[in-house]
Amino acid sequence: MNFLQKGWNDLRSEPVPTIAGWQDGRFLWLLMAGMSLFMVILAHSVFQHWLYMKPCEQCVYIRFAFFAMVIGGILVAINPKNAVFRVLGYIFAIYGCIKGLLWSVKLNKIHFVAHSDDPFGVQGCSTEPTFPFGLPLDRWAPDWFKPTGDCGFDNPIVPDGAVLSSMQQWLVDFYRDGWYLWPPSHFMNMAQCTAILFGVVLLVLIVCAAAWIMNGIRNREQAAETRICNAPQQ
Amino acid sequence: MKRKLLQALTTAIALVAVFAGSGFAFSEGTDYQLLEKPIPNAENTLIKVFSYDCPFCYKYDKAVTPKVVPQLPADVTFRPFHLKTKGKYGELGTKLFAVLLAKDQANGLSDKELYSDKSLLKKAKMAYYQAYHDKKERWDAGEEAYLKTGLDAVGMSKAEFEEGLKDPKAQALIAEWDASYDVAKIQGIPGFVVNGKYLIITKSIKSVDGMLQLVNELLKK
Repeated sequence: MNFLQKGWNDLRSEPVPTIAGWQDGRFLWLLMAGMSLFMVILAHSVFQHWLYMKPCEQCVYIRFAFFAMVIGGILVAINPKNAVFRVLGYIFAIYGCIKGLLWSVKLNKIHFVAHSDDPFGVQGCSTEPTFPFGLPLDRWAPDWFKPTGDCGFDNPIVPDGAVLSSMQQWLVDFYRDGWYLWPPSHFMNMAQCTAILFGVVLLVLIVCAAAWIMNGIRNREQAAETRICNAPQQ
Repeated sequence: MKRKLLQALTTAIALVAVFAGSGFAFSEGTDYQLLEKPIPNAENTLIKVFSYDCPFCYKYDKAVTPKVVPQLPADVTFRPFHLKTKGKYGELGTKLFAVLLAKDQANGLSDKELYSDKSLLKKAKMAYYQAYHDKKERWDAGEEAYLKTGLDAVGMSKAEFEEGLKDPKAQALIAEWDASYDVAKIQGIPGFVVNGKYLIITKSIKSVDGMLQLVNELLKK
């Protein structure tokens, strides 16, 4: 409690150094990496394998974006005080967020057109993904990166003869119309949820990076001022 | 300072107006792209690459292509190409569709009538679309089950299908449709190709009329 109170007071009185200071620890970086990894594992192991909801082309790109954030977080966590690791980590994480956000927006658009009678304005998905930098991820790890579903349709498709536990059956029925944050009322599809997630992380990253840079400049100026003040006395 | 900004703004608006008003509305890269590997023997054609396992192909075949195809110029041929690499039964579907298209042609149906109710190709195709997309049928029982869906829709026996597969015309269609893959991998499907070399960028299609205009423009190029 005291710890939180202190953090809040520091943030209010000295926002820039406080936010800059947070990044010197591993916690936030590992939190970001862990959360991103969790999202991919949730999508792959729970929804794709356990509930038979196949990933689409945009969906595997979104996994790629989360992996970029995992790598970014781990890179900084190796040594949070090392500027090289930190810059590299920022590049990976911000890149992942921006790409993830763009793919989510695209998927959301496809989702809406796919569920309407007007087919115009989007391109359906391909089963031949093209990853950035020509990475053949779908050949390296097909189970994770090969799209097997259709964009906009993430309904569970249970193979004939599959024996489901009662829990599985309940969830398959629950997600009958596809993945939604709250399926009964079709509230927030998967693309909207990931878009918000990427957007929030991106915002936090930008604020943190700005605080780190501003704090660096301020420290340098202060160091220069002390040098000038000290100069005549020498 | 304010005046400069205003000046820049008016110039920008004027430029946009000039470009928006310049008659020819279609451009390479936005509306269509040139195929690196053109499809041979495709002068004066509109080719549609599709698959039964493709939600937007179904959407286009419900709402767009049936309106576009009959309005194509008389000397232009419409040719559907089924993509064999997509879907668990892509190859089998390709064989059946080729047999049915050859039968349609033998029955004297013109390419513009491939969306009429007389077309066997259309009947089988719609049966697969509905089974796959509306009923979420995946034919886990195997090839027999998949084939049955299409054969039942057109009232054909398996023996007739196997007989039809020996028809050189059906075999020629299957061979010709191999060109589908190189088209499909560019932007996915449905893929529309004019004269075997101009691939329409599907997401730029905004209406049936717009698509017809673009096709007609590309046919003249």
